[in-house]
This record gives sequence, C-alpha cells and structure tokens, in this order.
Amino acid sequence: MAQLTKSIKTPFDNAVVRRRQMRKLWLAFLLFPAMAILLTFVFLPMASAIWYSVYEWDGLVRGEFIGLGNFQEVLFDPRNNKFLINAFFNNVKVFIALMVFQNGLALILALFLAREPKGYRFYQIAFFLPVILSTVIIGFQWKLFLNPIFGLVNTLLRNVGLGDWAVPWLGLPETALGAMILVNAWHWVGFPTLVFLAAIHRIPKDLIEAARLDGASEWMIARDIIWPLMAPAVTIIVVLTFIGSFNWFEIPYIMGGLEGSPSYSTDMLGLLFYRTAFGSVSAGNSDFGTGSALAVLIFIFIFTFSTIATRYLTSREVELS
Amino acid sequence: MATIELRDVTKDFGGVQVIHGANLSVQDNEFVVFVGPSGCGKSTLLRLLSGLEELSSGEIYIDGERIDHLPPARRGLAMVFQSYALYPHMNVLQNMSYALKVAKKSKQEIEEKVHAAAEILQLTELLDRKPKALSGGQRQRVAIGRAIVRDPSVFLFDEPLSNLDAKLRVQMRLELTNLHKQLQSTMIYVTHDQVEAMTMADKIVVMRAGNIEQVGPPLELFNKPANKFVAGFIGSPAMNFFHGQVVGVNNATYEVKLENGAQFTFTAQNSNLAEGDEVDLGVRPEDLQPGTGGHGTMAGTATAVERLGAQTYVYLRSPIEESMIIHHAGDLDVQSGEQIDVSFDLKSCHLFGPDEQRIEFEG
Amino acid sequence: MANVIKKPGDLGSWLMHIFLGANAVIMLYPILMMALSSFKTNKEIFTSPFSLPRSFSLDNFAVIWSQTNVPRYFINSTIVTGLSVLVLLVVGTMAAYALSRYKFKGNIMISLFFLSGLMLPLRLAIIPLFIQLKALGLVDNLLGLICIYTAMSLPATVFIMTGFLRSLPSELEDSARMDGASEFRIMVEIMVPLITPAMVIAGIYNAVPIWNDFFFPLIFIQSPEWKTLAQGLTAFFGEYSVNYGVLYAGLTLAALPIMLVFIVQSRRFIAGMTAGAIK
Ligand SMILES: Nc1ncnc2c1ncn2[C@@H]1O[C@H](COP(=O)(O)OP(=O)(O)OP(=O)(O)O)[C@@H](O)[C@H]1O
Ligand SMILES: [Mg+2]
Repeated sequence: MAQLTKSIKTPFDNAVVRRRQMRKLWLAFLLFPAMAILLTFVFLPMASAIWYSVYEWDGLVRGEFIGLGNFQEVLFDPRNNKFLINAFFNNVKVFIALMVFQNGLALILALFLAREPKGYRFYQIAFFLPVILSTVIIGFQWKLFLNPIFGLVNTLLRNVGLGDWAVPWLGLPETALGAMILVNAWHWVGFPTLVFLAAIHRIPKDLIEAARLDGASEWMIARDIIWPLMAPAVTIIVVLTFIGSFNWFEIPYIMGGLEGSPSYSTDMLGLLFYRTAFGSVSAGNSDFGTGSALAVLIFIFIFTFSTIATRYLTSREVELS
Repeated sequence: MATIELRDVTKDFGGVQVIHGANLSVQDNEFVVFVGPSGCGKSTLLRLLSGLEELSSGEIYIDGERIDHLPPARRGLAMVFQSYALYPHMNVLQNMSYALKVAKKSKQEIEEKVHAAAEILQLTELLDRKPKALSGGQRQRVAIGRAIVRDPSVFLFDEPLSNLDAKLRVQMRLELTNLHKQLQSTMIYVTHDQVEAMTMADKIVVMRAGNIEQVGPPLELFNKPANKFVAGFIGSPAMNFFHGQVVGVNNATYEVKLENGAQFTFTAQNSNLAEGDEVDLGVRPEDLQPGTGGHGTMAGTATAVERLGAQTYVYLRSPIEESMIIHHAGDLDVQSGEQIDVSFDLKSCHLFGPDEQRIEFEG
Repeated sequence: MANVIKKPGDLGSWLMHIFLGANAVIMLYPILMMALSSFKTNKEIFTSPFSLPRSFSLDNFAVIWSQTNVPRYFINSTIVTGLSVLVLLVVGTMAAYALSRYKFKGNIMISLFFLSGLMLPLRLAIIPLFIQLKALGLVDNLLGLICIYTAMSLPATVFIMTGFLRSLPSELEDSARMDGASEFRIMVEIMVPLITPAMVIAGIYNAVPIWNDFFFPLIFIQSPEWKTLAQGLTAFFGEYSVNYGVLYAGLTLAALPIMLVFIVQSRRFIAGMTAGAIK
C-alpha cells in the first residue's frame, strides 16, 4: 500500500516536501488576491448588513442592540409599512409587466431571428444597441422624449391626430409606471432576445427537421420542440428579470425621482431603501438600522424566490445529450 | 543513453491504487514498448517516470541515480504526447526552441540544435509555420523534434502514432525506428498497435490492471507467454483457448480431457498438477490444422469464412459453443455453415494451469 | 450558423419582416433623434423636432467641452473602468487558473465561495460598505469605486474564465513542464495567451456595466471632480435643464464612444454581454 506518512525523512523525501510547499505557495499566490478582495468588499459588508440590522443607529455611530426592533419598524410601523407595501406591489407589477412585454417580445423576436431572415445581423445589432447604453442616458433621453409639451412622443401623437392621447405621461399616476416599464423594455429587450436566439441555435437542426418531416406545423415546432429545449435560457432570463425587477432603481430614480413621483406611483423597494438609509423628505433622517433591516428583508425575499424559481424551472429542463 | 530502473513503484489516485508495485529494468539504448488493455496504467507509468505524476511509493533510478524527487525537466527525459501538444500560438521554430529558451541556452546554441533537429526530421521548410498549418504527420515530427533538441537520455512516447492514418503510421513507424538507431538513446513507447509493438520493440512490457505481467523480447512473448493473459493479448488474431480438466496423473505424465471431447497426454517435469485441476490449452489460429490427426481433433461449424487467396481465416463454433479461429496459409475451400474437423499438434500448443500460469510440457 | 426554421410561405414571411423592421425602427429611431437633436438649437427643437437640423453646428458640443465638467467625468469613467477591468482580469484569471488547472484540497470549497459571490447583490450591503470605505478613506475617491467594481465582478469573471481555462488540454501544460517551464511561466507564456479571446469577452462583460453604472458613484462620490460620466450626467441635467440642445448633445457624447465600439465589435459585444446567461 501507499506510504502516505513516511516516518523516516530521506533527502529525497525532503525534495518532494519542498516541491509540495512551493506548490502550496503558488496556489496561495494565485488565489489570495481574489479571495481577499471578495471577502473585504462583498462578504464582509453582506455579513455586516445583518449585524447592523439589529442595532440602533445614530448617523454613522452604532448604538444599542435592539434585536428585531428595526425589522418590526420596517414591517409593522404604519408610517413605514404603507410605503413598503406600496413599493413592493409596484415591484411586482414591474416584474409581471417585464415578463409579458419585454421577454414575450424577446421570444417572438428570437423565433423570427432564428429563421435567419435577410438583415439578420443588422437586426441583432439594432436590437442590442440600447442594451449597451447606460440607464442614465436612456432615462434622460426618454424623459426628454416624454416631456408633455415639446417631447417627441406627444408631438408625434398630435401630428398624427391623436392629440387627446398626448398626456403628461410621467406626470400622471396612472401612466407614469407604465411609461417607465416600456422604457425599460425598450432598453433591455435585446438582451433576452439574443440569449433566446443563442439557445435556439443550440438545438440540433436534425430535431427540427425530423419534426418537419413528421408533418408538424411551424407553430407546433415552436411549441413542442423549441420551447421545451430552450428551457435553460428561459430559466436564466426569468431569474434575471426577477432579480432586476426587485432591484429596480435607476429608471424610476431618474425619471420619477427619489420619492417615486407622481404620488409614489413609481416608488420601488430600491428607492425606499435608499431613502430610509440615507434620508429624504418623507423618510426623515438617515437611519442605517432600519435601512439595514430593509436590505436584509429584500435580500431574503429575492434569494428565496429566485432559488425556488430556479428549482422549479430547472426541473422542466431536458438534457440534450 | 541511459539505463532505467523502477523499484516497487506504486501510484494511487485519491485512495485507488492504479499501479501495484512495478519493477522494471531498461538497458541502455533499448527500445521498450508498453502494451496492455485500455486503463491498465501504461500512461500512468510513463507519467511517473517523467515526473508529471508523483510516486506514491517506490524508487526510480536513471543511470543508477535516484531521480524520483526531481522535477520533470531535470530528469533528462523528453516526452511525446498522443495529441502532440504543440503550443498553438508559437510557430515550429518557437515550439522547438522553447525548452532551450527556458533552460537559458545561448541564442547560437538554440539555433544550432533546432536546425540540426529540423534537418533530421525534414522540418526546415516549415520552421515559421504555426501548428494549425501543419498536417498530422508534420505535427508529429515537430513534437518529436521538440524532444530531440533537448538531447534527452530517454525518450517517452505515449501512443504517438494513434492519431495518424494507417499509411502515415507505417511511414512514421519506420522513421522512428531509424531515429532510434541514429540517436542511440533509450526509448519507451506506449501503443495499442500489435504490429508497432512487435516490429519496433527490443523488449515488450505487457501490463494488466496496474501489474506488469511479462517483460521480454517480442518473439519470446509470442512463443513463450508467461500466462494466459499474455498469450491472449499478444498475437493477432488472438490465441484460441480450450478449457479442460486433468483426468489422469501418472508420475510426470498427465492426461487431459477437454470439454469438447478431445483428449491427450503430456509429460511435465516441474508441474504440481493434480487430478481434477482445470487447465486451458492455447492454440494459435495458425497452429490449428483443418482435418483430423495430430494430438487431438475437434469439430466445428464454420460461422464465417474469409478467403484472401494467400491466406484463409475460418471462424468456427464447436458443438459446445466454443468459438475458434483458424488461420490457414493458402486457400481453403470451406463454406460458411459447413462442418469441418480441426486438429492440433501439442508441440505448437500452450498449456496454462489453474492459476493461469504457463506449464512447460512435452507432447 | 444553422438555419433552424425554414422560410415559411409568403404571407407569414411578410408579417415577420414587417414585425422585425418595425421593431428595428422603434429601437433605432430614438437614438437617431437624440443624435440629430444634439445639433439643434432650443428653438429648432420646439418648432421642428422631427426634421433634420438646419446645420450640423457643433455649438452645443462646444458648450459641453468648454463650460461643463463632462470631459472630466469622461476621464474619470475611463480611469475607473480601465483599472477595474485590468485588476479584475489579472486577479480573476489567476484565481480561475488555480481552480481550473490544479487539483488540491479545498478546490471545491473555494469554487463554491466564488460561486456564492454571484448571488450576493452588493447594492443591498451599501450601508456597511459605506461605513467600511469611509473608515478606509475611500469615500469620494475613485479607488473606492475601483475596489467595489472589482469585488462585485470577480465571481462572474472567475466563473467565465474557469470555464475557458478548463477547456485547454492538459497535455499542453505537461509538455511545458517537460520543457522545464516553471508553473508561472506555463501560466503566462503557454496557457494565458490561448485564452485571450475569453479575456476579451470577460472584459466586455464587466466593462460595459461598470462604465454605465450610476448607483455606486451616486452614493460614494460627491465632489464634481471625481464624478463618473453616468453620474455626472445627472448633475449636468440639473444645470442645463432648459437648454435642450445641450442636453441632447451631452447624451449623444456620452453614448457615442461605446456605440462606436459596439458597432465595430458587435459580435464580441453580444458574446461578451450575454456570456453570463448562456451556458
Ligand atoms: N489523474 C487521475 N486521477 C484519477 N484516476 C486516474 C488518473 N489518471 C489515470 N487514472 C486511472 O488510472 C488508471 C490507468 O490509467 P492510464 O491512463 O494509465 O491507462 P492507460 O493504460 O494509459 O489507458 P489507455 O490505453 O486508454 O491510454 C485508469 O483506471 C484511470 O482511470
Ligand atoms: Mg494512455
């Protein structure tokens, strides 16, 4: 049998031991920087967030331990929780709307692009172009376009005789959120489109040809072959959309402001968290305690649901051998 | 120009032992071929020798000096891999000079050595090509060239020709044999190919499941296989085996009855066979004669016949569902489905005892 | 690429082309309008919003160049993105190299450590991060942003690079070892040159979101001299809120460099940005 632990050290063993030590040192050299950076700037703050959420805070100074007091304040204090509930349901609306409009459109576009029509490359580039731009640019650009008086959108509506429709889109509680969701869909639709397209291209051509020989219609092929086999891509997009929707911040911040105007109709968990943590008109002074508690709650929610969703969606995936 | 010695070499991967104490001596300037079924540990043994894997226990000596603690490059070995492993981003010249560059050899020395090696391998024209722009045979030559420039005392080859087509393989085989003569260095060569093993080797090492089964010159292994495994492994088509039992013992004379009915006697001086022991009679396809006679006759139905004119292969199935192959020099007019008799002469047969070891006997 | 679905009959094909074409117009037209409007005066924007600009005058751009901090923001963004991506690729490739090319005790544990970093939304830890960076003197400091971006993007980078490094044949490494190269040389001279395309992909995957990010600068940078482009645009929008031509010019200027690179390198960009989502 192998002598893993040799009691007598010969010069040969020493040479081997030295080489093993050098190898360990080399591995440590490779791994240490990345692990140190990640620990310091991701894991440590994440852990601290939990730690901080059970303390009273006065500005930057940590006060007394108050257990779940901050959580109670976030969840049950009527001054806070009406904001929480409102923001939460707005996030839910965003998620559902993006699933339907953004990802639904992306699926159709991907199915069409998979046929490699004329202009295939051009379409890919066109659809993906907004994806590479900063949300800030997109947000401001559309804010200018949606300006009630001279914005391009309303001018266009008036020019084609739909003057009645030319409402202040971002100024009405009924339309503001919808407008922002459409802007987000415009910004991002290229991303799921190309992820779906890549997934469709990965399906073996023979499978689709075999189905066609069996006499399946294009619709049946899409439903019975392509859709089930692109499941992994769907899983990823659903989870990413979920995480993105519940972390939604930039577009509402830029187009609606920190208070989710008009009248909190575009308020989001992300904005609420920012206001709670760093202070604002409605939330009063900066409060790191309740802010941390809110962050922990959002994290738990996102983590739980994305894990469950991944499990569920993955179970529907088929192995392509 | 080196002798190699392995002493009780073992290797385990995560608790699973794959080499169980290998002992082997290789003489200076010898061409040694490792053969054995897939997964038996040939590559592992080569990698232990090269230093790419660490020994679990045991010792390795080159020219009498222990080297198993040294890193690969300081053992004076060079290795040629099955997939050539050429650096894709370097041209042929850079590939061949890399080892010398690492060893901080002078520009002039590098130049000389690389050009000398390129000369031997007819690579001079190709020095500034990238591996992608080379044919399989050319890549193989570069891989060998990369080994040559280092002036190693031992060359290790792990199935170097198996990615080449049949014709190129024959050509490279001859080139390698010439190279061995020219360089006068020790070579260890792993292959699956019987012909390569038989034609190139000074010495063949047959391995099975992490053990060295037999070591010897090709014809010795062919004529005197040490056990049933080696007998079945060396030679193509493989040896026919007939199972039987010792039914009579009289001093050094034994009587054996095969399951297919054939019966014969032989004498063996140093055998401790007893009545009832199970034995196997091994007969090479070329030693089975059509017709009756010899020391025993068996019957079988031809299931397939390959008549090549100069030689004929007949695949037979005996009444007790044994299959056997006859290799007949010359044409033999047998039809598939026909029933024929075959006979054997004990002189050309091999006998293996209950432990599957060879029994020396006289017919 | 495979032509997956056969071209169907005329009507369907026409509908498809109309659908795709309309969508392309919807995607491109706003960007075109943004660019065109940047050449217009305020008055032109009000009176003839859809027409071509009367002249391609660069007045609006001149205002940005000489009277705003946008050029400064641009430089800051370049520094932050450039250094973050550089550190990320070096440090991430090193870690990925260890994880993909060596068997050692703890390999799986450390891989899981990096993998779990993928699931942590750093934005939610902004409070402790703020306190931590404040203590380190890294608030209102580009270095602070670089640290955050590097850390945040490391897990994905390690993940992507590990995938590519695994695909390299180990015989190359063995062969270099036989040639006497040290482990460091094997990595730098043999293996890493073979994954430069992967590094480009990982680089784009990280550079675009870092360049575009607005959230972290919003919290960590206050001084105008350290603002990044995306963040600086908000300040600029406050300042020039009624000069629409200048606003459009600012947006166009901010969008232009990345759009140009994208159009030239669209394949790599698409591969890079979807790298995390395609198995
Ligand atoms: N790095 C490793 N880790 C674990 N097991 C290994 C490793 N390398 C080889 N083995 C095992 O050791 C045994 C011998 O492998 P080896 O590659 O030496 O066989 P081989 O004789 O070269 O086979 P082949 O003819 O297919 O090349 C096999 O069972 C293999 O699974
Ligand atoms: Mg092998």
